[in-house]
Amino acid sequence: MEAARAIGIRKSFGSGDTEVQALRGVDLTLETGKMVALLGPSGAGKSTLIKALGLVSLPQQGSILMRGKAVVADGRAQADLAELRRHYLGFVFQKANLVPFLTARQNVEIAAEIGGAPAPRRRALELLESLGLSHRADAWPDTLSGGEQQRVAIARALANHPTLILADEPTAALDRERGRSVMELLRQVAREHGAAVLVVTHDQRALDVFDSLYNMEDGQIVAEPVA
Amino acid sequence: MNLAWRDIRHRLGRFLGISLGLSLLFTVVLAMAGIYQGLVEDATSLARAMRADLWLVQRDTYGPFADSSRIDPTVEWRAAAVPGVTGARAYTYQVLQRSQGKGQARFALVGLAWPEDRGQGLHLVAGRELAQAHGEMVVDVSLGIGVGEQLQLAEEPYTVVGLTRGVLTTGGDPAAFMTIADAQLVLLDTAPDAVQAERVRRQERFRSAELGHAQPVLADLLVDPRWKPPVLATPSVHAVLVNVDTPEHLAAVRKIIASWPDVSVFSQSEQEDLLVLGVVEKARMQLGMFAVILVLTSSVVFAVILYNMTMDKTHTIAMLRLIGSPARRIVGMVVQQAWLLGLLAYALAVGIGMFAFPHFPRRVVMTDGIQWAGLGLVMLVSTLSSVLGIRYAMNVDAGKVLEG
Repeated sequence: MEAARAIGIRKSFGSGDTEVQALRGVDLTLETGKMVALLGPSGAGKSTLIKALGLVSLPQQGSILMRGKAVVADGRAQADLAELRRHYLGFVFQKANLVPFLTARQNVEIAAEIGGAPAPRRRALELLESLGLSHRADAWPDTLSGGEQQRVAIARALANHPTLILADEPTAALDRERGRSVMELLRQVAREHGAAVLVVTHDQRALDVFDSLYNMEDGQIVAEPVA
Repeated sequence: MNLAWRDIRHRLGRFLGISLGLSLLFTVVLAMAGIYQGLVEDATSLARAMRADLWLVQRDTYGPFADSSRIDPTVEWRAAAVPGVTGARAYTYQVLQRSQGKGQARFALVGLAWPEDRGQGLHLVAGRELAQAHGEMVVDVSLGIGVGEQLQLAEEPYTVVGLTRGVLTTGGDPAAFMTIADAQLVLLDTAPDAVQAERVRRQERFRSAELGHAQPVLADLLVDPRWKPPVLATPSVHAVLVNVDTPEHLAAVRKIIASWPDVSVFSQSEQEDLLVLGVVEKARMQLGMFAVILVLTSSVVFAVILYNMTMDKTHTIAMLRLIGSPARRIVGMVVQQAWLLGLLAYALAVGIGMFAFPHFPRRVVMTDGIQWAGLGLVMLVSTLSSVLGIRYAMNVDAGKVLEG
């Protein structure tokens, strides 16, 4: 089942001689419960695509659909972007970016609260338990290991029952073992929570956990998905 | 979930430090307002302590506190004869500076019309009112002399028999009360030779008058300056204080006295207004302008602190925006922190003031009005100062988080 789709999205920066075409008509379909890797060299347009799909920086042209509904049509948002993000999207980053003055549980709870969960605290505890972190629920971010922080970030990304989870280099700051563990966890949440997961990664060591691999170059997806 | 409170709790030490710094600024603002209020209360306390309905002063002057008002003591008897007047008392006022122990004592010497006025209208915090015509005085506690102690004035000892509190001049100097006769002895204090010469002159003038011829034995009484033979001129007084039986008669009494060619009449409140406007107006404006500058300074400092506190949370704000947080939650966090910071700093300022203000050389009066107005001002400044932080927060790009 289709979770999200990008249709012909284009994005450029600058103008005239300095214009850079960051995305040149990207088409991409992401399925529910599947984890997809986006590979490619630096400057290929991966981060621009993530920002476009994350409704942070809209494309100038093209459409984005979430659960079949157009949220961006011809480069224009169809509703308030913040509202769309809290309704459809979850984010995981290279650094966990946890709020330093909130505990692990509170970091997930605030996302659940913003996402409109009826019982945000319970939702946060459930997610932490499902990710094996219930014993660290009251820990401050600076007392968590890098892997634990990323797991809290994944729990936070799941707090609003997202359609699409966007992960930008989620294992870049982790060692091989912890990196693989995070990738496996993302695949697990894709399956169990029915979300599509798009991961931008340079990490070649854990590509076997992905359902599909896309390759980007010069603002275009140049290779068909590899199952 | 209240993010403002959680952020503060997480970095409580830093927050308390900032609050303490701000509170010192607020303390100075409160001190300015308190000193101004103290000026007004000091300026009016002496006039208010006399509990008069009308002040009769030299024609076309504003009274003893503003001018060198001189009126004939007979005005006292003329005023007492006006229908509706229940009492008329002479009043003298002079600021003196005398040696006291190792230092100097500066005070206002107020003469009371003995025996009608023994200081019974004064609110005494210790001791009693005057009980004899000579050698006793009531002083304000701020003069630093206790009941039973003596003050040497014009070569004579004066025993303190009662104490007032907060009865001061516009300059903040304490007041001292004694009979007019004693006050005039002190004011006209001259060298013994000069006193003797004046005594001889008075006797000569008396003997040359008809009364002196008829009863020459009375000339011996002239050694006491408190005896005022009707044939000799008596020293003038600075004002005559009049009390009226009912407030309804006040206007009528005033109208009669105002028609006299040698006096001007002021009500008690007019005399107080004259003191405030005439004597402390410049100090009031000075303090007011200083207070405005301090409020502006506090606002700027407050705004910069809040801006920096918001900047410190750039990543958190970007994160909240990325996960779809409504703007009101982020605005709420900044504004609530501003309010909490303002409230804590203000509470500390009031606490510091309560401890420090009593040690100030001038009286600092913290009325409820000042404290409530200060709180309102702090809340206003907090809210306005948070605008800079809110503006910054609203411009934080959610994509910043994606950039790492």
